[in-house]
Amino acid sequence: MTLLIGALTLGIILSLLALGVYISYRIFDIADITVDGSITFGAAVSSVLLVQMGVHPLWATLAGFLAGAIAGTVSGILQTHFKINPLLSGILVMTGLYSVNLHVMGRSNIPFLGTVTLSTYCEKIGNIVFGGNEILLMGWTVSTTDLMTLILMFLLVSSISLVLWLFFHTDLGTAMRASGDNPQMIRALGGNVEYYKIFGLALSNGLVGLAGALWAQYQNFADVQMGIGMVVWGLASVIIGEALAGTASVGTAIIGTIIGSILFRQLVAIALSFGLNPNDLKLITALFVFAALILPNMLSKLSVGKRKVAL
Amino acid sequence: MNNQQSNANLNPALVQLTDVFKTFNAGTVNEVRPMQGVNLTITEGSFVIVLGGNGSGKSTLLNAIAGSFMIDTGKIALNGEDVTQWPEHKRATLIGRVFQNPFSGTAPSMSILDNFSLAAKRGKFRGLSWAHSSNLQDELKDRVSELKMGLENRLDTAIGSLSGGQRQALTLLMATWLKPKLLLLDEHTAALDPKSADQVIALTEQIISKEKLTTLMVTHSMQQAINLGDRIIMMHKGNMLHDVNAHEKQRLRIDDLLSRFENVRRRELLDESVADLLRLRYI
Repeated sequence: MTLLIGALTLGIILSLLALGVYISYRIFDIADITVDGSITFGAAVSSVLLVQMGVHPLWATLAGFLAGAIAGTVSGILQTHFKINPLLSGILVMTGLYSVNLHVMGRSNIPFLGTVTLSTYCEKIGNIVFGGNEILLMGWTVSTTDLMTLILMFLLVSSISLVLWLFFHTDLGTAMRASGDNPQMIRALGGNVEYYKIFGLALSNGLVGLAGALWAQYQNFADVQMGIGMVVWGLASVIIGEALAGTASVGTAIIGTIIGSILFRQLVAIALSFGLNPNDLKLITALFVFAALILPNMLSKLSVGKRKVAL
Repeated sequence: MNNQQSNANLNPALVQLTDVFKTFNAGTVNEVRPMQGVNLTITEGSFVIVLGGNGSGKSTLLNAIAGSFMIDTGKIALNGEDVTQWPEHKRATLIGRVFQNPFSGTAPSMSILDNFSLAAKRGKFRGLSWAHSSNLQDELKDRVSELKMGLENRLDTAIGSLSGGQRQALTLLMATWLKPKLLLLDEHTAALDPKSADQVIALTEQIISKEKLTTLMVTHSMQQAINLGDRIIMMHKGNMLHDVNAHEKQRLRIDDLLSRFENVRRRELLDESVADLLRLRYI
C-alpha cells in the first residue's frame, strides 16, 4: 500500500512535467528537450533556497517554477529571435543548464536532512487531520504523512490544471493554441507568434521546474542527474493520456495527460517490484515511446493492406 | 486617366507602393524577381482586380502589402502611415486576408467558435478575458446562418472537418468580422470546385458592397476580372503592364484582356504553344 501511495504521489507530481510537455509538444508542436535541464534547475534553485537560505518552502517551490520559466524563455528566444532549430535550442539550453545547475547547487547532490520542506508541512497537517502518525486504510496501515502528501499534491495539480484549462480558453490562450495549429492564420489575424511561443515555452518549463521542486522535496534530495530522460517520461505520459482520453478538447487532453502520468508511474513501480533492473528503465521508456509513435502509422497501413486484399 | 486622378482627389490613397523591389534567393540559380519597381496607388473604397500569369508577381504584390516578407527597397504606405518596416502581425490591424489555400486561413483542429473568437480580436490586444463571450456566440450564429450552409448549429465542430468552400466562406467572414481598412483576396476561389467558387464569389461581392471595403483581389479567372471590381491591374514579370480604370473597364470584354496578353506574347516573342497555354489558362 505504501508503495502504491508512493507511486501515485510521484505520478501526480510528475504530471506537472507531463502537462509542461503537453504544452510544448502538442500545443506548439515542438519537441522541447529543455525539459531535461529545467526540471533539475527547478529542483536545484528550490533546494538551495531551502537548505542554505532557509526560505519558506512555499516561496522556494514558487522559485522552482520561475527558474523553469526562465529556462523556457531562453529556449524560446533561441528559437524565435535567433531562428535556431527548436530541437537544437533545447539541446543547447539543456547542456548549458547542466553547468548552471552544478554551480547553483555547489555540488552534485543536496540532501534535505532536517530541512523544513513541504513534506514537513504535510507531516504536520497529516498528524492534525488524521490524529496520529498512522491510520488504517482499507485494512492497510498507512503513514498519515504519505496520505496527506498525496491529497495535497492532488489538490495542487487539480487547481493548476483548472487554471491551465481556463487560460487556454482566454483570448491569449486561444491565440497561443492557434499559433501551434496554424501560424500563418494567426499572424494574418494580428497574433505575434514569436511572442506566444516564448510565453508558451516559459509556461511549459515553469510547470516542469515546479515539478522538479516538488519532486526534490518529496524524495528529500536534489540531484544534478535527476532530469536525464525526463522529457521522454513526459512524452510517454502525454501519449498514454491521448490513447485513453482522446484529443477532442483541451480539457480532455489535460485530464488524459494527468491520468497518463499516474498510470505510467504505476506501471514502472509494478515492473520494478517484479524485479526489473532500474538501469533498464530509461531504455524501456524510450522503447515504449518509440512504439507509441510508430504504432498508429503501422496500424493504418495494416488496415489499408487488408482493404486491398478485400478488393 | 483624368477620371482616375479626379477620383484620387476625392478619396485619399489608402495603399501607396513606391518603387518596390524584391528579389528572392538572390545570387543563386533559383533567383526570382517578382517585384521590379512596382508603383501602385489604391484609393479608399476601390475594388482592384490583379491579373497575371504564373510568376508575374501578383501574389507577391499581396504578400508584400500584408508584410509576409520585407521588401528590398521602396516604400509601402497604408492608411497614411509608412508600414514598410511593420511586421505582418502589426499590419493585420489594418488588413483582412483570405488565402488561395482553404487550409491557410483557419486553424483546423480548433472549433468554428474558437476561430471566430480569434478573428474578433484581429489586430487587438489579446488578454485574459474569456474568448467565447456570449455576445460573440449570438452574433456568430446570426452571421453564419446567413451563409445558408447549415453551420450555425455546428459551431463546436473542428473547422478542419469542413469542405474547402465552407472554409473559404468562413475565412472571408473572419477576415471581415472587424471591418478591415483593406481586404486582400489571393485567388481565394482557385482551389474550389466551380459551384463553391460561385458561392464564395457571391458572398465576396455581397460583403464588399455592404461594408464598402477597399479590396485588392488576385484572380486567374478572366470572367471574375470582367464581372467584379472597378479597376484591373495586369502584372507581368514583376511589373505592372496595364492599368484599366473604372471608366474603361465598363466597356472591357474578355477578348480585350486576351488581346492585351497577346501583345505581351508578341513583345516577348513567345511561340504559339505558350500562347495556347495562356489561352487555356485564361479562357
